[in-house]
Amino acid sequence: MLAHCYSADTALIASQHQPALLLEFARSRDLPLAGLLKGSGLSEAGLLDGRQRLSPAQLLQLLGQLLCAADERGASFQLGQQWLPGHYGAASLALAQAVDLAQALQILEAEQARFCPLLGPRLRIEGELAIVYWTDSVGAGPLLPALVELHMAALTGMVRWLGGEPLPWRYYFNRTRPRELAQHAVHLGSALHFGAQFDAMVVDAHWLQRPWPRGQAAGVSLSLRQLEPLATPRSLLQALYDQLRASLHAPPSLEHSAAAFATSPATLKRHLARHGTHFQAMLDQVRTHEALFLLQFHGYDHAALAAHFGFHDARNFRRSFSRWTGLQAALLGPQLA
Amino acid sequence: MLHLHRTPLCLLGLSLLALLCLFQTQGLPKPAAHWQWMDIAGEGGTALMAAVWLGQILSSRPRGRVTMLLALGLGGLMLGSWADCLDEFYRLPEASLWDNWLESTLSPLGMLMLTAGLYFWREEQFSLSEQLHRRERLFREHRAFDRLTQLADAGYLREQIRLEQARCPGQPCALVLLDIDRFHAINRELGAAEGDRLLQALGHLLLLNLRNDDLLCRYAADRYAILLPETSAAEAQAMAEQLRASVAQLAYYPRRGGARLPLSARVVCALADSAPDALLAALNAALEPAPMHFHHPQPA
Repeated sequence: MLAHCYSADTALIASQHQPALLLEFARSRDLPLAGLLKGSGLSEAGLLDGRQRLSPAQLLQLLGQLLCAADERGASFQLGQQWLPGHYGAASLALAQAVDLAQALQILEAEQARFCPLLGPRLRIEGELAIVYWTDSVGAGPLLPALVELHMAALTGMVRWLGGEPLPWRYYFNRTRPRELAQHAVHLGSALHFGAQFDAMVVDAHWLQRPWPRGQAAGVSLSLRQLEPLATPRSLLQALYDQLRASLHAPPSLEHSAAAFATSPATLKRHLARHGTHFQAMLDQVRTHEALFLLQFHGYDHAALAAHFGFHDARNFRRSFSRWTGLQAALLGPQLA
Repeated sequence: MLHLHRTPLCLLGLSLLALLCLFQTQGLPKPAAHWQWMDIAGEGGTALMAAVWLGQILSSRPRGRVTMLLALGLGGLMLGSWADCLDEFYRLPEASLWDNWLESTLSPLGMLMLTAGLYFWREEQFSLSEQLHRRERLFREHRAFDRLTQLADAGYLREQIRLEQARCPGQPCALVLLDIDRFHAINRELGAAEGDRLLQALGHLLLLNLRNDDLLCRYAADRYAILLPETSAAEAQAMAEQLRASVAQLAYYPRRGGARLPLSARVVCALADSAPDALLAALNAALEPAPMHFHHPQPA
């Protein structure tokens, strides 16, 4: 249902949550608040008294202004260090008492509207590997690379803090290699791979169940029970991703998806356009991700993939695949394994 | 900083007006047909450029001798050209000499003052560079400096390694990386503001423990890089060890009170004889804590 999803301009985020974190950072760098809020329709007084709710688009704009004004190379990583578990009420309490990585990721994914409304995490376990990959929730546009850095630093830092030791994550970025890697190296580590099809963090799956020293199963369920259910727990883009992924074998179509969201194709199209994307781009993204997982972890070859996605033959599939990814199907870039 | 210089700026404005009044009262306006456009553009342009330079100098410097000399020099140049320019619009009686006097004294005097100002500015620059020792070497790039610690960043460091290798190809030159243990935990427990304060303190501490020709950079976050020119591997190892010990010995007290914060650091060093990117990648990897005492879960 469309009504159960938040969009870029749903007033969702309490100003004492992520926005307060951004303001605190601005204050520590002596950046004038008035400049940051210009054009966002937000008032300093409203933000400070904590009763205002921001839309994801407003949070995104505030973040963009802040990164621009701070003019500091590591700013996205530094913000990430404080992003999780954060001070987001009972949700943060639950996350901070998670008994292990698996539970933490489960809470994070389920409550992403509270923790990370701009970029959603997805956990997949493939064989021996736990893969956390991030997809755009509200159309971040040019801020996407900074958001990825922020969220990867956030998860890395939180896991190191709650688990009491650094994990040997490997990082994959869906972007070209930046010229300067100092911030990545210090905040994330040296296992960095660029030019991948995902923004993903990978670690051996046995870390998922390793007990965390501060874990309190009773505390987690108590805190989760205190959470007021959200009217819109997932963003439209994330919900559409889920819907497309579940219906990949039946040839997906705009009409199909619109029906699943109980709306008209024209309305869905308009909503997607407002988030700077369109149906075909979403479908291409989901199929790319699925194709990569199937190729790499499930022993599919091109013919099997073509059949899986409802293509007539492998040749057709290869052509489409290179359109989705800009790559030959045989050359996948850095591999997750 | 312009508000610091209100009086001289007012005086300058008044002098410009006074000159205009003087020409207006003493001379007769030339008809537009007699205006020499080339001269007007040249002399007016000089006056305008001098005004721009003066604005830049005054808006970026506190008061003082050097500022005064530079301002007087540029002000003189500007007034001289202004008089020259007005000369193109007014015809003065043959008998009046003050106009020639103005033109032939203001500009040369201004140039003299400007020269003196530049001479003292050079001296001032030497003494300021002295204070930047161990924070910069060989070339200056103000945009590379981190606002928090006033240290240069990783890009500057890489450029310096390259320059050092090109300057003395045969000489050994060493690079040390130093990383604060548990810094992320300090940031979480005491807040990011306290973490920032600690980074500043550590920057000062490390600077004090370096030789005059060494270079300290903030590589990223809590990782510092120290470039040691003309230093052998053994010397670098000893210095790295000493820097590590100095961090461990620092008695740092958080601002909110409480006990001394125990500090420790990890150091790695290597000779800077390979390409900067590869060198830094290798040192960064060496700094990473090995995945600790992990045991595969026993099958039940």
